[in-house]
Amino acid sequence: MGVADGVPGVVPANLEKLLGFGRSFSFWPLLFGLACCSIEMMATAGPRYDLSRFGMEAMRASPRQADGMIVPGWCTVKMAPRVVRLYEQIPDPKWVLAMGSCAISGNIWNTYHVVQGIDALIPVDVYVPGCPPRPEALWDGLEMLRERIKQSRHAYDGLQRIPAREIVGE
Amino acid sequence: MAASTHDNPDVSIEKPRPTLEELKERKRKSRQPVGGCRETITVSMGPQHPSTHGVFRAELDLDGEIIVNARPEIGNLHRGVEKLAEYRTYHQFIPVTDRLDYISSFAMNHAYCEAVEKLMGVEVPPRARYIRTLAHELTRIANHLLWLGVHVMDLGAQTFFLITFRDREYILDLFEMLCGARLTHSYARIGGVSKDLPEDFDRRCREVVDFMPKRLVEYENLIKSNRIFLKRTVGVGIFTSEDCATWRITGPSLRAAGVERDLRKDEPYAAYDEVDFEVAVEYNADVYDRFLVRMKEVRESCSIVRQCLDKMPEGEYLARDAAHVLPLKKNVMSDAASMVQDFVHVFHGPRIPEGEVYRAVEVPKGEMGVYISSDGGPKPQRLHLATPTFYHCQAVPPLFEGETLADSVGIFGSVDVVLGDSDR
Amino acid sequence: MGANGENIEIPGAVKTVFAKLEEEFGERLLDSSLFRGELTFVIAPGDYLDILTFCKESEDLKFDRLDCLMGNHFPEREDKPFQVLVHLVSQPNNTRLRLKVLLAEGEKLPTLSGLWRSADWDERETWEMYGIEFDGHPDLRRLLTVSDLEGFPLRKDFPLEGTVGGRVRTNLKGKI
Repeated sequence: MGVADGVPGVVPANLEKLLGFGRSFSFWPLLFGLACCSIEMMATAGPRYDLSRFGMEAMRASPRQADGMIVPGWCTVKMAPRVVRLYEQIPDPKWVLAMGSCAISGNIWNTYHVVQGIDALIPVDVYVPGCPPRPEALWDGLEMLRERIKQSRHAYDGLQRIPAREIVGE
Repeated sequence: MAASTHDNPDVSIEKPRPTLEELKERKRKSRQPVGGCRETITVSMGPQHPSTHGVFRAELDLDGEIIVNARPEIGNLHRGVEKLAEYRTYHQFIPVTDRLDYISSFAMNHAYCEAVEKLMGVEVPPRARYIRTLAHELTRIANHLLWLGVHVMDLGAQTFFLITFRDREYILDLFEMLCGARLTHSYARIGGVSKDLPEDFDRRCREVVDFMPKRLVEYENLIKSNRIFLKRTVGVGIFTSEDCATWRITGPSLRAAGVERDLRKDEPYAAYDEVDFEVAVEYNADVYDRFLVRMKEVRESCSIVRQCLDKMPEGEYLARDAAHVLPLKKNVMSDAASMVQDFVHVFHGPRIPEGEVYRAVEVPKGEMGVYISSDGGPKPQRLHLATPTFYHCQAVPPLFEGETLADSVGIFGSVDVVLGDSDR
Repeated sequence: MGANGENIEIPGAVKTVFAKLEEEFGERLLDSSLFRGELTFVIAPGDYLDILTFCKESEDLKFDRLDCLMGNHFPEREDKPFQVLVHLVSQPNNTRLRLKVLLAEGEKLPTLSGLWRSADWDERETWEMYGIEFDGHPDLRRLLTVSDLEGFPLRKDFPLEGTVGGRVRTNLKGKI
């Protein structure tokens, strides 16, 4: 959860702030592209809107090395277990950004095979609407995400299980 | 019949074209024998992978580095677009087609609109046909640039991704001028396009297509002088014209195998019969030739765009056909007849004859066929999209068998797959 | 025969195709129509493989590519609600052809994957979406949807939102 979990005091709190500050400048997302929004994510990593200015261009292919996920695009029922597994494989602390209307709520795909929003599966920190959101919009979302990273606030704080696990209901 | 370049540097040496038998022999030699291995490891080149273009999964049986068997699995991005089409009117389906092959959205819009116009018998005005041709070719350039960046990045050179994206941004700026969206255009309408060309578009567009061939020279010099790239692509992934026909591989991969098939010439639509361009054909059917075909296509696209700008006719950008086509937006609030037409089309839908059509269009990835069956109502009875990449994914077993794992990434990239298109 | 049944002049491109097929199969072509320049023949399931083999192997027709194979469902037709449509392309001659077969519920067709390898996934998709089975198919299982989906999605009686209501399928257990 955090370095100073529930322990009050000046030193752990400042240490937390320092760690948050450091983490926010090198958030390495998982190299994970589902659909059209991933092209805009790649454009954000491209030379005009440069993700590398804030240390995010190192998109790690392995979830074990990643700090979080940007989920661009609709998640289908077939892909859902794999999204959950990838999320679980990312070590703590992790953050999730749902990019695009499809990841937030399924967009126009109200069909038999599309999960209507990935927050049914995994806890989401920041929602970036748009179809697809412009690189500037994704940038805005990433700034909000970096604020949360600085404050070490996670979407899973207080949750005992991620939503997909609750639905399964062991 | 070789002409010496010393005499006339403009004449290129005529390369001897390999016959089908020679290509088959080269293919057999370039692959490793796969029979007789006792133990294989099964690896999932899974849906989350840095080089699969989207969420494509292939289960590979590996004997060391050699792929003995490949079992592709798609459907990780299946939305049921064909089912969705039966619940939307013909006008409402256009934004859905955007999201099919999201890298070349306008091409998908155009393919769908051509099919609907064929069914309805709507005549598209000349200016709209030229604008559509122009936008389609810009989409082709954008698609091939992204393909180049991602393909070369797959083979290891990360710089290309950044430099081709730099150039792609200029094309996306042009699209933003045209229709307001960078990626999912929804620019085509049944009977024409949604907006006319803006005032400054001519100058900006000419600037872009004038410097694009020079950029291509830059890319080609980087690639042709790179021995590693050449070694990884020349003679690798040979897929002969027979294979392409039986596996329904179309587009640049088919043209790289020597077949001169391009629907823009064979079954012309829009303004393609009024512009001059060459069909890009190569004869060695390998990964390098597919690269050459695509670079030539970008050059031809630049030429087509310039011709369209030169010959752009004046007139309507949307057909005036009250039963089938939406009215011009600017008239809707001022003219009573247009308002009624708008009301009917939005709340009910266009009037469609009964019947069925199949229209294939040359989108950047291949040949896309749109089948529409209508029972006279405002919504399609059945809409089927025979997208090119569905069949490219199906051809993964013959493409991968006997290749090393390292080569398979390059081969898969060269047939150009996008999962939104493949899964629908 | 045009869509209304009157005799229509056939354009030159499809004339040879029409003539050759009429000559070879005559009575076995149940119906023919020409709409927007496209030639469609309706054939019986029993003649399906013969006619398609002829289309591929005949020297005059040379339909070397199966452009797509798909299904269709007309629930209002009670005796033969399903259809399978085969679109063929001849690359050397630049011609197209559509062949249509009307099927009853549960009727099967032979597979075309021996003639054109691309028929494999087309037939899997047709089975998955409509439930039309193909005899001799090497691997008839779900392709695009999740492997334990119940029902056939593109049939007209299958709801758009699917049969498992809500945002996400609840039985993800065992899959994660």
